Amino acid sequence: MIQNDLYEKFLSSLLAGDRGICVSITQDLIAKGVPVRDIYVDLFQKALYKVGELWEHNRISVSVEHMATAIVEGLFALVYPAIFGAEHSGKKAVVSSSANEFHQVGGKMVADIFELNGWDGYYLGANIPGDELLKFIDEKKPDALGLSLSIYFHMKALTDTIESVRNSFSNLDIIVGGQAFRWGGIEIVSKFPGVTYIESLASLENQIRKK
Amino acid sequence: MEHFSQYLNSYVMKKASFILILMDSEGIILDANEFANSITGRALKGERFKNVLIDFPDTFKLEDYLHDEGKGFLLNIDTGGLPETYYFQFKTDGDKVIVIGEQDRMEIADLRKNMMNLNHELGNLSRELQKKNAELNKLNILKNRFLGMAAHDLRSPLAIIETYSDFLIDELPQGIEEEHKEFLDIIKTTSSFMRGLIENLLDVSMIEAGKLELDLVDSDSSQLIEKNVHLNRTIAKRKNIDITFSSAESIPRVSLDENKILQVMNNLISNAVKFSPSDTTVSVTVTADSENLTVSVADEGPGVPEAEREKMFSPFGRTSVRSTGGEKCTGLGLSIVRNIINAHGGEINITDGESKGSVFTFNIPFES
Repeated sequence: MIQNDLYEKFLSSLLAGDRGICVSITQDLIAKGVPVRDIYVDLFQKALYKVGELWEHNRISVSVEHMATAIVEGLFALVYPAIFGAEHSGKKAVVSSSANEFHQVGGKMVADIFELNGWDGYYLGANIPGDELLKFIDEKKPDALGLSLSIYFHMKALTDTIESVRNSFSNLDIIVGGQAFRWGGIEIVSKFPGVTYIESLASLENQIRKK
Repeated sequence: MEHFSQYLNSYVMKKASFILILMDSEGIILDANEFANSITGRALKGERFKNVLIDFPDTFKLEDYLHDEGKGFLLNIDTGGLPETYYFQFKTDGDKVIVIGEQDRMEIADLRKNMMNLNHELGNLSRELQKKNAELNKLNILKNRFLGMAAHDLRSPLAIIETYSDFLIDELPQGIEEEHKEFLDIIKTTSSFMRGLIENLLDVSMIEAGKLELDLVDSDSSQLIEKNVHLNRTIAKRKNIDITFSSAESIPRVSLDENKILQVMNNLISNAVKFSPSDTTVSVTVTADSENLTVSVADEGPGVPEAEREKMFSPFGRTSVRSTGGEKCTGLGLSIVRNIINAHGGEINITDGESKGSVFTFNIPFES
């Protein structure tokens, strides 16, 4: 668990664009042996949700939001040695943002959570065209596919992606999640067979352990 | 005009991040703010305004632009590098014209989006790289484990082959055919080489697995090396090569792993002998200053081309130089040597000999 005053310091440094302090807070937590998932959920995710909220309420500009995201993306590199060094079971997951979707931090966290739980988590990136995704699935033959959606208006692109994946890979487990589902849409994706909505990184971990 | 120039050079305008230019009705620039001078890379005063721009119509008529006063025009600035698009507005001030140029907002938004995408891309590549790196590390550990197991299991049977072929050579019955004697020699030489190769592979796998541990003792290093030189003389004599030893008078006792340093000396001296022609000398020298023990092994062989020297210290990093008596090399010896020296906190390098050949010099630091 990360102390609230440390989180507040991290958030204010993030909003001020002070990458150095954010790096040093993250490094200290890693050195103290704080679990990676705590750093992800209680620091990175919590701070970025707050940044998103501030942007939605027009209290910070889009450039500050981009800067904060860029800083957090850079911080991921600090935890990678711990994530990728874990023992692997041979199971694979491919994680992608759907077409038109430019937000990628959430998807990347999902791929990393798979890694932490002994899976190979391949993150494809933002705005991945459908055919590229199908090609990659065919190449990697994953046990699960994760699709992340941040903007509700891209729901159609997400369901198109699910449909085309389902047509080509009928048995592939698909999990979906992301900030877009705060505004609804769970019932839309749940209609597809083999598609599970995941509401948080903690419930993702529970799902992974069941597989 | 004077008033406007003062305004242009005021603190606020110096800090401004937009273009502010004053020109006459002919389009000659009378003054420009620091930002305008800075992005074009020159003092604009006295220049024609149209020369500041790219793709500006030759038939420039200021009145065309003044006609729509208050309305903006997207024009490209000549920055000396990539052109930048600015949103220009023209305002009249008596017979003068004030030009205000702000960076195109759409372009800024595009730039920001591109920067964000590049940052995403960089983050993804960094993740991919670190994932690949972790996978390679795991494969390397597996490789070392496999190498260690295979080498260990091969060493014992090879040692038996080598020992029994030795017995057979020592106790050859009278009248044995010369050809059969040669077969035995080949078995002995080849098994001996293979045992050496396997021992080197074991060393390399230990080193790569980070298991190179030193058993440090307070050692009379000069005496240790002299004894080793003496043992190597027997092998060198087969090629009629002499090994000389010289040592400075007072070499301090140094903390080192004696077996590992003997391994280093065996490698360096046997290499020197391998690559030296007959009737030459290999010189081993030991010196010391207040901080370092320095040992050098010099030969009179063909030398090593400078471009190939670094490669020699990598595993299997063979060079174009060939041994003079057909001796085989595993290509691992110098890599092991460097790792042992580095583990002692020292370094090894190779230089040209005074007249010919190569000199391998290593140092081992110590505290006085």
